[in-house]
Amino acid sequence: MAEQSEEQAQIQTEHEPVVVIEHLVKQFGKLRAVDDLSMTIQSGETFGLIGPNGSGKTTLIRLLVGLVRPTSGVIRVLHERVPHSRVLAQMGYMTQLSALYTDLTARENLQFFCSIYGLRGKAQELPIQEILARVDLADRANDVVNKFSGGMKQRLSLACALVHHPRLVFLDEPTVGVDPELRRSFWDYFAQLNTEGVTIIVSTHHLDEAARCSRLALMRFGKLLAQDTPQALLQQSGKDNMEDAFLQFASQQEVPA
Amino acid sequence: MSMARILALARRIIRQVLRDKRTLALIFIVPLVVMTLLYLVLTGTSNVPTLALVRPTGAGSDRVNTILDSLLPGQDKLKTINIAASQVDTKLKNGNASAAIVFPPDFMQQILAGQRPAVRIVLEGSDPTVATAMSGTANALVHQLGIALAIAQAQQGKGGQTPPVLTTTLPFSVDVPQYLYGGPQYTFNDSIAPVFIGIFSFFFVFLLTSVAFLRERSQGTVERVMVSPLTRPELVMGYIFGFTLFALVQSLLILLFVVFALRVHYSGNLALVFLVTALLTVGSVNLGIFLSSFAQNEFQIVQFIPLVFGIQVFLSGIFWPVAQLPAALQPISYLLPLTYANNALRGVMLKGNSFGDIAGQLIALLVFALVMVFLSALSMRRQIA
Repeated sequence: MAEQSEEQAQIQTEHEPVVVIEHLVKQFGKLRAVDDLSMTIQSGETFGLIGPNGSGKTTLIRLLVGLVRPTSGVIRVLHERVPHSRVLAQMGYMTQLSALYTDLTARENLQFFCSIYGLRGKAQELPIQEILARVDLADRANDVVNKFSGGMKQRLSLACALVHHPRLVFLDEPTVGVDPELRRSFWDYFAQLNTEGVTIIVSTHHLDEAARCSRLALMRFGKLLAQDTPQALLQQSGKDNMEDAFLQFASQQEVPA
Repeated sequence: MSMARILALARRIIRQVLRDKRTLALIFIVPLVVMTLLYLVLTGTSNVPTLALVRPTGAGSDRVNTILDSLLPGQDKLKTINIAASQVDTKLKNGNASAAIVFPPDFMQQILAGQRPAVRIVLEGSDPTVATAMSGTANALVHQLGIALAIAQAQQGKGGQTPPVLTTTLPFSVDVPQYLYGGPQYTFNDSIAPVFIGIFSFFFVFLLTSVAFLRERSQGTVERVMVSPLTRPELVMGYIFGFTLFALVQSLLILLFVVFALRVHYSGNLALVFLVTALLTVGSVNLGIFLSSFAQNEFQIVQFIPLVFGIQVFLSGIFWPVAQLPAALQPISYLLPLTYANNALRGVMLKGNSFGDIAGQLIALLVFALVMVFLSALSMRRQIA
């Protein structure tokens, strides 16, 4: 009975818009990093921001988490204008660099992030134990981070973004420098989080990862090239892989002077 | 503002510093080593100067010499050597003496004949501090001798027939100097120890915070933390709490070391010393955060040291009292937090000043701290957005 109502709750929230962006523009001096973007992200989906380096993915994520103020346009996250303290508490964020305290242990890093999200003392133990197991770092929990390999840091960084059970997670290139096996396990994990009702917004320039997203936004020079499910995008472009599809969409775009 | 989040941040900073053994050594051991060196340099160096005397030799000179001997303060305060007039230059140049008083051989005869004999004072002079002190000592000696001789002659004149006998003692006594603060056993160390407590807490905390915050910025954690319920004021407070703890432990350690190991004299209220250090530290932490926003790497932080530290060492009254500085520089001194901290720390530790006595200094330090908190909060906004 309880399971059923949980499922129902999930179905109800399935089509709830979690992030709404309207005519978003961000100008840095002469550079228009984000140029008139509009998109809506639904709860429980993995929304992929796909594009080459410098296409505005990171700026868009920084706008969405409230680190950067938009030049114009509207952003609503969980029905609030960002940054909003209630919303921040329900968000997880993984930066491009693995933002970790390298002189602390993995556990101490997680303890710190738990406590700034209001989990204290005993309440931290279970989530930390769980997340360490999920990113396969349980046996390295008490090791100092500066002894970690790049992949381990990346896994811990992901753990820090997720340890407080956020409803909405922003992941900026989480799989950069991560070996193929680990990349696959990351994406399996994202799919699992989706079934738990967690919305994931993930940027990547690995086009082969795009197929694992629920929906995609293809970006280039700060502009939106196309936005749809991976299958629909392949169909529209008439190509059989995402790389060719992206190039097809890109060739239709006017290159700014 | 959530106290729990502030404490979480402070706990994390404390953990980080505790893990970094070299930084711990920098905060807790280096100040003690520097204080010990300073102590050894200042007390181990012989500061009993030597005065060379070229005594008169003609008739009646015995009495002059007797008076002179009675005027000398004693070998533990002023060493004296007797030399010939021809040796003056070599003895001073060789460093055997810092000054010489040269009496003409027929000093007494000239006086009795009603002439004014010329007494020369020669100073070695390469160290201005010693030269000034020796000039004063030599002049005082000669003048005291003059007074003694004048009194003796006056008594002789009154007595009429009595043969010209010079008294060998002054007809009055001078009490042992009375000290309002401190005492004859106080050394330069005693007056320098309080200010070093201030300097160390200011300097090391500044260095620690600015580098820690720079690192936090360059490794991206500050950005990560800003995308959390932790607010900017909480971030500033967390930093203040975390680093102030180390600064307070540090100043307590320096204080105990200075009082019990180096046996520097100390009177006054420990709690007030703490209050001064705490205010100074709050300012220092925030100055560190503020200036770190202008640095791209650790090396650029090091470049701030002469600016932040050099100016304060010279102008905050550590070695030269502010009132004795050139008038043009004094206004700068009154802009420096260490000026007020030094005054307050010296006041409390040397004079036993109360809270009321140093209220003005405390207010100045509070203003400095608040201005720095404001600037660091501003710079944090700039650094993040």
